[in-house]
Amino acid sequence: MSILETPRILFRGNIAWDPIVTNNNAPAYDEDTAQTLYPDAPTIQAKVAAFRKEAIADVNPNANPPNGPSRVWNPHGTHRSSFYDEAFPDPSAPDSLIVDSCISGVDTGGGPDARDPFVGSPARFTGMLVDLEPYGSYSSQLFFDTISFGIDGGCRIVAPRNSRVNDRYINLGRNPVYYIAGFASVIWQTSFRKDLGLIVDDYDSLALRKLKEALRQDDVLGLTVRWTVYRTVYYDTPALATDVPLQTAVAEQLMAKLESGGFQPNPARSKLVGAIGLWRKGEPEHEPGDRALLATQWPPGQPAVPPCVGTAFARLGEKSVTLDLGNSMPETGLDLTKQDWGDLQVRAVDPADPKRVVAKLGTLTYKDYRREAYEAGSGIVTLAVAAADARAAAKANIQVVQAKTGTVLLDEAPLRAIPLVPNLYLNAGEAATAKLQLYQRGAPAGAGIPITLCQMSADGSTIQGKTQIVTGAGGVASFPIQVGEGEIEAFVPLPGGNPVLPTGGLNTMINTYMYVRILPADAAIGALPPTWDNVYAKVLANWKAMAPCMDNWLDLDDEAQVRAYAPVIKALTDPAAFENYRFMPVTRDMSPGCRALLYNFLDGKKPAAAPAEARPNARLKAKAPKPAASRLAEMSKSMR
Amino acid sequence: MIRLELKPLKTVEDARSMLETAIGLEFGTLPPYLYAMFSIPPGKNVAAANLIKSVLMQEMIHMCLACNIMNALGGTVKLVPPKYPGPLPGDIGPIGKDALVIHLYRLSKEGMKQGMDIEQPETIPNFPVLKAAPGVPATGTIGQFYQRLDDFLATLPPGVWKKGRNQITDNQFFTGQLFAVNDYADAHRAIEEIVSEGEGAKDEPLDFQQELAHYYRFGEVYHDRVLTKIAKPPGYQWGPAKLGVIWKDVFPAIPDPGTHDFSKDSAAARAAQAACNAAYTRMVDALQQAVTGTKGALGNAVRAMFDLRLATQVALRTPLADGVSVAGPAFLYTPIKGGAKA
Repeated sequence: MSILETPRILFRGNIAWDPIVTNNNAPAYDEDTAQTLYPDAPTIQAKVAAFRKEAIADVNPNANPPNGPSRVWNPHGTHRSSFYDEAFPDPSAPDSLIVDSCISGVDTGGGPDARDPFVGSPARFTGMLVDLEPYGSYSSQLFFDTISFGIDGGCRIVAPRNSRVNDRYINLGRNPVYYIAGFASVIWQTSFRKDLGLIVDDYDSLALRKLKEALRQDDVLGLTVRWTVYRTVYYDTPALATDVPLQTAVAEQLMAKLESGGFQPNPARSKLVGAIGLWRKGEPEHEPGDRALLATQWPPGQPAVPPCVGTAFARLGEKSVTLDLGNSMPETGLDLTKQDWGDLQVRAVDPADPKRVVAKLGTLTYKDYRREAYEAGSGIVTLAVAAADARAAAKANIQVVQAKTGTVLLDEAPLRAIPLVPNLYLNAGEAATAKLQLYQRGAPAGAGIPITLCQMSADGSTIQGKTQIVTGAGGVASFPIQVGEGEIEAFVPLPGGNPVLPTGGLNTMINTYMYVRILPADAAIGALPPTWDNVYAKVLANWKAMAPCMDNWLDLDDEAQVRAYAPVIKALTDPAAFENYRFMPVTRDMSPGCRALLYNFLDGKKPAAAPAEARPNARLKAKAPKPAASRLAEMSKSMR
Repeated sequence: MIRLELKPLKTVEDARSMLETAIGLEFGTLPPYLYAMFSIPPGKNVAAANLIKSVLMQEMIHMCLACNIMNALGGTVKLVPPKYPGPLPGDIGPIGKDALVIHLYRLSKEGMKQGMDIEQPETIPNFPVLKAAPGVPATGTIGQFYQRLDDFLATLPPGVWKKGRNQITDNQFFTGQLFAVNDYADAHRAIEEIVSEGEGAKDEPLDFQQELAHYYRFGEVYHDRVLTKIAKPPGYQWGPAKLGVIWKDVFPAIPDPGTHDFSKDSAAARAAQAACNAAYTRMVDALQQAVTGTKGALGNAVRAMFDLRLATQVALRTPLADGVSVAGPAFLYTPIKGGAKA
């Protein structure tokens, strides 16, 4: 299934991350009300200025106590994330093959092959990185318009968006040498419908010709693109991982730049490997739906101590097993050398008696998963299997075992419940029903199977309720989402009527999940007279404070300019354009009431004679503290 | 065949002089390319706009890389804003004819032809410059110009290179494309990038990252055809697929607004020009600071470039006295005492 089927196109490269990180923390932003929390100051303009000043001060890694807000490393971010080419070898990985973002190989069934004419063609992607839940990064998304491989007039794949790219299987134990979130790797995936403008031009590429032919099959919906990012470097300085004084020095340099004015982004960068494969009916769009070999080294609610092996995926063929280890095998440091676990046995065991091996599926040597192989094959490895063993493994649990110790590193979970919509935006008062698809060993399961649904806190640390649902035809189950006030909820579906609950918190290596962002209705704000004072205080000041990069486009402090740009502002915040790359990221948290007030202003509606609503200092307002996030959530939070 | 004055190189000072030309040349391409790009209204001629923008971004990188080499050689970068219409540094022009006079054109066939002329690759294998006697001014393409520079830099002793001097890197902008020049190897790589992206690999329209070189990007717009791979020699052809250029879908921007007499136009049109010139001046001033070692100045230059874009949007929507035409930015450097103001 999916990218684990051939033909498969492989790519690798680099991706830059440039999110605004100022709203990561409770003192800066109230994610329930979707409003900025300003320092106290006499006017709203002064509050915005003070907020911006604080954001710069928070860049200092010594500014916050250990249990305080995470460091702000990019107050001038743009949210843009792009694949890019390295014009110069990466000093942290002197032997790495990854320089350009490009097609690195093809696999038409005989293993990775770098001789196809498509190899070397550029991989191009630019998206807007937005987390559905501002305090965390379990629900990161890349809003984009098109991804392309190759160039017009030659071998190419051009794929217009069907749905945004979502991250899943955040591996917080990937690299032991890191700064900020450099320890992590993450899977990103989306799929493209063949009937929505997907272009595959094969010219002299055999792999593309085979892919094009396969796309004609009735049960092929289109293409799935999956990539794993890893080894993230901040401040463009790999040495920060081990040099504490340097951490302060680079932060002070950034602060000096920020204080000098202008536009001062500070993007982070990661390596990536990925694959393009067929998307067949019944397969999930946004995350792996193959047989899931779950990480065993992750204690519930706690991050593993890197390096450790992360969750992998498998597809069993008639005479082969293909493993996606793209997000699994850890590195030992910034040079990206892979941890040597020795030989790894792939086997299938009796689900009722995990000690009983029913089939031996092969052995991975270090050569199969070391860095060179990883970069050449995007972490995807295929082993030849005897037909009888493959048949025996079809209904058994696949495991990956360290040969020298007998330690089970990866263990199949036969049932996986995957929400059909991974991240959902709703407005308070809207009714919604969510669906999930239950998979059994990588294929849609049947009806009548119970699923326990845990409702979790926004940071994934606490179970706030649970309910049981049952799959219907084709393994699909539905559940209503109770929409109250503005808030963020997480749902973790667990197959079975009495599963192990995530009492230690949502575990991104183990759990599937869905996030729901419920924006407050803000009817009172919507009913305010559409004066400049009101629209600035309730809407524009949020953006001005949180997103200094918008100064590049227009001065949100300037009423005349805002009025002049009314059509542009409306176009860039139009709910109908929500999935578009150019939809302004900071406005994704705009409530219906705020939008009504803004549009009334932009449309020139005459204000009634009501006074502007007084705005108390939200930081001083009594507010129930949020439950302490688990250590896992804290680590995840720092990824932004 | 385009030609560019090639001088013999004997000293580091000669190399700095050549780099000054290179920097001026890269800088000089920005306003005409910006003018063409700005002249495209949002949502119109998207493919053409993307191609021109991609060239523009790489020219900015090339200018910074040339500055990095200059700084690494101990030189001082002095940005000299060009005037339009006017020649580019290095006397660039067709063989046997006068130097190219660069104009500010909106998106148009002549504007794209001008871009192709500037970026024209080496197409005559035995170009005369290769046979020229030492010491005699000769001519060549931009690629040959850089080749001569590269050849000379390769002969310099390691001690000439000043490590880390006033270097602009990619830590904020142009991720992956902009790097410090600390020695000859870095300079060589920078020159390879500049030449490859501008002209393509030898006998090949693709650059070293397998994307179209600048000449061919302009060519696609000019011909309104996608450069397409074919099995037989010469390996590529224009079309048959169209790029989708609609020449009339542009702002009716006059060419070379620097030569236009705005005294007969509305106060709004004059104010729009003044705002464009002020933003451009701030951008040049900040760039000058950035390439001479002021931390954070590149961010100020980028902000000023966005200001220029905003001012241009106003200018391109403000009719001139004829009621039909508009004017884009004239790119007039207009410093005022105490610094440029908006």
